[in-house]
Amino acid sequence: MNVGVAHSEVNPNTHVMNSRGMWLAYALGAGLLHIVLLSIPFFSAPVAWTLMNIIHNLGMCVFLHAVKGTPFETPDQSGTRLLTHREQLDYGVQFTSSQKFFTISPIILYFLASFYAKYDPTHFILNTTFLLSILIPKMPQHVRIFGINKY
Amino acid sequence: MRPEPGGCCCRRPLRANGCVKNGEVRNGYVRSSTATAAAAGQIHHVTENGGLYKRPFNEVFEETPMLVAVLTYVGYGVLTLFGYLRDFLRHWRIEKCHHATEREEQKDFVSLYQDFENFYTRNLYMRIRDNWNRPICSVPGARVDIMERQSHDYNWSFKYTGNIIKGVINMGSYNYLGFARNTGYCQEAAAEVLKEYGAGVCSTRQEIGNLDKHEELEKLVARFLGVEAAMTYGMGFATNSMNIPALVGKGCLILSDELNHASLVLGARLSGATIRIFKHNNMQSLEKLLKDAIVYGQPRTRRPWKKILILVEGIYSMEGSIVRLPEVIALKKKYKAYLYLDEAHSIGALGPSGRGVVDYFGLDPEDVDVMMGTFTKSFGAAGGYIGGKKALIDYLRTHSHSAVYATSMSPPVMEQIITSMKCIMGQDGTSLGKECIQQLAENTRYFRRRLKEMGFIIYGNEDSPVVPLMLYMPAKIGAFGREMLKRNIGVVVVGFPATPIIESRARFCLSAAHTKEILDTALKEIDEVGDLLQLKYSRRRLVPLLDRPFDETTYEETED
Repeated sequence: MNVGVAHSEVNPNTHVMNSRGMWLAYALGAGLLHIVLLSIPFFSAPVAWTLMNIIHNLGMCVFLHAVKGTPFETPDQSGTRLLTHREQLDYGVQFTSSQKFFTISPIILYFLASFYAKYDPTHFILNTTFLLSILIPKMPQHVRIFGINKY
Repeated sequence: MRPEPGGCCCRRPLRANGCVKNGEVRNGYVRSSTATAAAAGQIHHVTENGGLYKRPFNEVFEETPMLVAVLTYVGYGVLTLFGYLRDFLRHWRIEKCHHATEREEQKDFVSLYQDFENFYTRNLYMRIRDNWNRPICSVPGARVDIMERQSHDYNWSFKYTGNIIKGVINMGSYNYLGFARNTGYCQEAAAEVLKEYGAGVCSTRQEIGNLDKHEELEKLVARFLGVEAAMTYGMGFATNSMNIPALVGKGCLILSDELNHASLVLGARLSGATIRIFKHNNMQSLEKLLKDAIVYGQPRTRRPWKKILILVEGIYSMEGSIVRLPEVIALKKKYKAYLYLDEAHSIGALGPSGRGVVDYFGLDPEDVDVMMGTFTKSFGAAGGYIGGKKALIDYLRTHSHSAVYATSMSPPVMEQIITSMKCIMGQDGTSLGKECIQQLAENTRYFRRRLKEMGFIIYGNEDSPVVPLMLYMPAKIGAFGREMLKRNIGVVVVGFPATPIIESRARFCLSAAHTKEILDTALKEIDEVGDLLQLKYSRRRLVPLLDRPFDETTYEETED
């Protein structure tokens, strides 16, 4: 079970996000996280939504933008060792549908969190900070700002 | 077409917002017959394409059920999280670390082992490692003996118990015509030649390693295939990887199927040619690439390509699909490209007289420019061959890396090939060859039909002796392999990343050596394990041919 033994796909990570059912699995996972947060009795609805927003954005930041390379050896001699998963998606072709989906989903969560928090200032500041922190790495230019996560 | 930086315009067409077209590359032959085809459950191409196909071409890849796909992702997610947890424990020495690490003194140096690249191997592959590399200790015929081994530290190390599991039904060996035997006249002839010539040749073809047996074998192979001349090599993988660089170079274009074998991919990359990949078995995709190549020429300079070579395989061993050879040949003639056909799995296994996929479709072998194949699968030997026009083979004799640097084929192996090939052709006076071919075809039809009736999802063409049974979830990969071994059946299972993430499978290779009793036993056990592991996913919903959402993008790989 090694990469490249059966087909010429250099990096299978590139179309994991396009496979059948991945978006649904992701949505269900986010829904499950939200139900867990809502079940904790001393969280009010705004707190639960803001926490959901924060945890979701942190999780997405770690798995899509912080972790670099592939968990298996690829036949391209580690050409993708310094690329995050987001940068590996679709071999660097921009504006594909899964990239758009994963850009839009934190925005939708932000709308919902703002709505349920009744546009409260504290919640607004928290939600907006975390939204921006997850949207900036999703820009199409693959630049490391301030050298964060370069190597 | 949006001009890109660098001015390269001959890539795949882009929509205005830069997305690649998808969905247009769909097999047009489906459109008119979708309603009846879905009802009949099969798609016939006999009359559709102006009579290119003389027999029905039934290839089906049933779509993954959505629930199964979601559960598969959950499975991989749980495994990943536990992998991170275990790595954490290993890092902080709470858990014993079995894999290689650097010495304490070298911890501050540049790291020797890339930890993350081995994440998958450490945390997923190691858990079910006992399903692979099983040592066998008998000839891999219809039944094989496997050495039993145990692991007390969760597959990090194995100990042999000393037992041998005898008579395991072998559903994993590429033994299509049953020539993997240690008795019979093939083996006796090979033993005679071993006595006469010895085992080794000790030289390359161009130096002093060209035996009369090589000449005899090559003439026989050329007659078998129906081509002018042929050349044989000691290793099948090396045949592809060393000969494609001799045929194409920089300034040439290679159009290669998505699911081509690693040897073809390696050969294509070594050659230095530009490689473009078309969707698996999709003739629209291939035609589009051919048209673009001829209209736009080489990138930047717009000069015409020196050569365009189409690389396809006869049977794709992971999918069980057969190449659409009539259409490929029609396209090749229309656009004046060359065709390289790799018949590693299909030679001997397809066709009414066992001559491979060209025979299966009833086409002329002269239409295929380079016919490559291996002797490993149907002939019970080792090595590969390339067949074609005499000028081509003469060129390869001088320019191929394998001919110049690699040791030539061993004499007993050659004798095995010669006797088995004569047997298949019927020249040994018996009808054993014909019977084997028919037995294989019957076994294929029977096995596939029974598995489909049981409700498993089976990929591939109706006539292909390679039968992939879909497992999907990572835990079932290990469970299936182990349960089958408990019931005395040896199977090969494959998972991510060798296959797409949701398409892990068990791959059965049928053989003419399997009798109906053996197949019935195997089917009974597969039925039982299928019920136990709930593998019967099929809903008989046949997606029209190759409409699988494999990839949204096609891409170009250049060596400059």
